[in-house]
Amino acid sequence: MATPIDSSQPRLAPGCRWGGSEQERVILFPEGAIRLQGTGRQVLERCDGQRTFAEIITELQSQFKDADPAKVRADIGVFLEQLQQKRIVDY
Amino acid sequence: MVPNPLALIAEVTHRCPLHCVYCSNPRQLAAARSELSTDDWKRVFEQSGKLGVLHAHFTGGEPLARQDLTELIGAARAAGLYTNLITSGVGLAEARLQALIDSGLDHIQISFQDSREDAANWLAGAKAHAHKIELAHAIRRHKIAFTVNLVVHRQNLDHLEEMIAFIERLNPQRMEIAHTQYYGWALANRAALMPTLAQVEKAVAVVAEAEKRLAGRIRIDSVVPDYYAKYPKACMGGWGRRLMLVNPAGKVLPCHAAEILPGMSFDNIREKSLEWIWQDSPSFRQFRGEGWMPEPCRSCERRSEDFGGCRCQAFLLAGDMNATDPACSLAPSHQVVKVAVQEGNLSPRSGQPPSASGSFVELQKLNEDLWSYRTNPD
Repeated sequence: MATPIDSSQPRLAPGCRWGGSEQERVILFPEGAIRLQGTGRQVLERCDGQRTFAEIITELQSQFKDADPAKVRADIGVFLEQLQQKRIVDY
Repeated sequence: MVPNPLALIAEVTHRCPLHCVYCSNPRQLAAARSELSTDDWKRVFEQSGKLGVLHAHFTGGEPLARQDLTELIGAARAAGLYTNLITSGVGLAEARLQALIDSGLDHIQISFQDSREDAANWLAGAKAHAHKIELAHAIRRHKIAFTVNLVVHRQNLDHLEEMIAFIERLNPQRMEIAHTQYYGWALANRAALMPTLAQVEKAVAVVAEAEKRLAGRIRIDSVVPDYYAKYPKACMGGWGRRLMLVNPAGKVLPCHAAEILPGMSFDNIREKSLEWIWQDSPSFRQFRGEGWMPEPCRSCERRSEDFGGCRCQAFLLAGDMNATDPACSLAPSHQVVKVAVQEGNLSPRSGQPPSASGSFVELQKLNEDLWSYRTNPD
C-alpha cells in the first residue's frame, strides 16, 4: 500500500484512538502512543473516515498559505503512509 | 520531579491454565488468596489515570482467570487508560469477548506457541492450540486491535517461516516475534530454549523478509535476543522511567522480576499511593539517574540509551544487581553469557512433542530431562 490517493478516506485503524489531555493530545495504539502537536495533530484530527485525502490537503493548504502547496501535499502523504505502515491509520 | 510513567502493567493474577516452559513469571508465585480485590484495582486505575498513565496492560498468569476482568477493564477505561489484554485466550469465547469489548477493551494480544498443534500443546503443557485458532477468527469479526504474540526459541525457530505464514492466515494487525527472555522458568529451562547462532541469524533474515512482504498489512515487532547482541536492552525503558507493574498481591515493582533482588523493599498499593511510590519510594529511586552506575557504565556513551541493561539479569547471572548487565559485551561478567551461548551452540538439547497426548503430569514425566513446566500458585 502506497501514498493515499485523492479519494482515499483516511481514518484511525481499529483499536487506535485519541487520548491524553486537551493540552497534550495523543494517539493511543497497541504498545504505544504518539504525542501530536502542530501539523501532525491538524492532519490526524481530520482523518475521520469521511473527509477525502484531497479535502484534507485543501484545508491544510489554505491554513498554511505561505507554504508551497505541492510540499504540503507531499509531506502529508508521507506522514500518513508512515502511520499506515505502523497500522495506526487506514485508507 | 520524575516524568510520569507511560504504562501500568496490571499483573492481576499468577493463576494460569497453561504451563509454558518459557514463562518468565517469578518462580515464587503470588498465592490466589493474596490477590487484590476489584475495588483495590479500581483505585490503582484511578490513581494511574491521575498520574498521567496512558496504557494499562492486563497480564498475569492468565488475566482471564479473574472473574471480574470485565469490570477491571471498564474501570481502567473509565480512568482514561488505553486497555491491552495480554492473554493465552483460554477462558475466552464469543460472549465474554463481546462483554470485554463492550466494557472498553481496545487491544487484545493472543499468544501462540507454534504453528503445529502437537508442538504448541507440548510447549504450553496444555491442549490450548485449537481453541486459540477459533478465538482468532472470532476476534477478527470485531473491531478491536489484534496482535499475535509468538514466543520463539531453539525448539521452534527452525520452522519460523511456517509459523509466520500460519500467523498471517489468522490476519492480526500486528505480530510480535518474541525471543524468549531468561527469567523465571525460562531461565531454569535455558539450556533447552537458547537458540543457536545459526537460528538467530536465520531468524533476523526471515523477519526482515516478512516485514517487507507484509508492510502496510501486518506490522511486525521483533528484537534480537540480548544474549546475542553487542549491547544490553534498555530494560523496561529504564528503571522507573516509563513503566510500573502492580503484581497480584499489590506490590508495585519497576518490572515483573524485581522481587528477586536482595535487600530491596517494594511498597504495596494497599498502603501507599501510586504517586508516592513512583516519585519518592526508595525502591523506585534506587536505580534512577547515573549515581548508582559502576564502570564501565558510568563513563559509557551509551548509558543514557540502555541504562546499563537489566538489574535483575545482572543479579541472576553475575550475582550483583549493581553490575553492568552481563549481556553487554563490555561487562566485566560478560563471560557468563558467552558460556551460556557456547553451550547452546555446542550441545543443544532438543525434544519432540509426544505422539500421544496425555495429562500434564505425564507430560512433565516424559520431559523431565528436558525442562520443567510452569506450576500454579497455591
